[in-house]
Amino acid sequence: MTTLEQQPTKTEGRKDPWGVLLEKVGKHQDRAAYHALFEHFAPQIKYYAISNGLASHAEELVQEVFVSIWRRSCLYDWRKAAASTWIFTIARNQRIDMLRKMQRTSAEMAVETEDLWQIPGDNEDEPVTSLHRLMSERRIRESLSQLPEEQITVIAKVYMEHKSHQMVADELNIPLGTVKSRVRLALNKLKVILQDQNV
Amino acid sequence: MTRHHPDSLSLMEYSAGNLSEPHALCIRLHLEQCPHCRSRVDTLNSLGAVMMDHQPKVTVADSSFEQLMARIDSSPQVSSPVVPQPKVSPLQKLLGDDINALPWKRQLADVSVLDITDKFPGQNERVVLQKLVAGGKAPAHTHRGDETTIVLQGAFADQKGVFNQWDFVVLNEQDEHRPVAVGCEDCITLSVLSAPLKLTGAFTRLLNPFLR
Repeated sequence: MTTLEQQPTKTEGRKDPWGVLLEKVGKHQDRAAYHALFEHFAPQIKYYAISNGLASHAEELVQEVFVSIWRRSCLYDWRKAAASTWIFTIARNQRIDMLRKMQRTSAEMAVETEDLWQIPGDNEDEPVTSLHRLMSERRIRESLSQLPEEQITVIAKVYMEHKSHQMVADELNIPLGTVKSRVRLALNKLKVILQDQNV
Repeated sequence: MTRHHPDSLSLMEYSAGNLSEPHALCIRLHLEQCPHCRSRVDTLNSLGAVMMDHQPKVTVADSSFEQLMARIDSSPQVSSPVVPQPKVSPLQKLLGDDINALPWKRQLADVSVLDITDKFPGQNERVVLQKLVAGGKAPAHTHRGDETTIVLQGAFADQKGVFNQWDFVVLNEQDEHRPVAVGCEDCITLSVLSAPLKLTGAFTRLLNPFLR
């Protein structure tokens, strides 16, 4: 049995190209790398904003997410997360933050968006977890194409339109139980979740 | 080590950023102490990233990148690297250092409560801290709607098992229970109530803040 840390070269090979660019921004404020990230991720984030009902603030959200990427890139560690996963969480947090500001609740709140939504702790010291994190995105990407469209639709509504399972059920005019079972089937197939009961 | 975890569907709603703030807080407090669920949320965040990539793309305005760089160059305040802050639990930010010393309101012999709903402006749920003195019993009750609870201190037991610190449990109208605080500490829980709970036993007539 070989472990992750005994194979630095092999591990190095798992670096994703966006992660390499992100590190260049973090270490050297590399503008060409930053521009390449912008070209790839900005159109995704703009769609994310629009599908979340922020059409009139879509460009603004893209800007906020990228300022945050610029400022936080020094904290990015490719062993902790794939770049796209890291960027997704920033987009999500900025989306939540923007809505909070619009509702003017943020000023009155003792806890900030990050306090509630950022994963706490330092999992990076757990090698199994690091490996797991690195592989999971690749695996999900590969398995997504095998999912039936109805399952992808439900997951897309949860992630892209911030709809609760109940709201998805109402919109698609199907029972809540059906939505939940589609999600569970998808998560099982994607091996996102090992059986809950084995937890 | 915690043994009662949020289910994968709740973690997915958390990962998608769709939960109300009190619910997110319950999950977040559990994650702080549970590497297993942290790892599950990590994976779900990857699912979010893959979904974002799987969706259509929308071209940004031509000047968008120039504007961005102009903003970054305009002031160090905009562009300075984020300095990692010392980690303070959101619980501490919200409730201070000692949850035992809060202005608890005694409700029954063994039960004290503190409504902290006003700490979550703009949210529709009630957020309540409950304290059951060590060895104390709560009256039998059921729940209207869903009640999400996380154990902040001590432990309680009911017919479904023992719930230790950082355990996570969701109860609804089917769950009538009569929790008992086990161990030598007072048991303190944080609950998010979508609707008030309903007393079912001999205490029904007592004024209950959950019933208003």
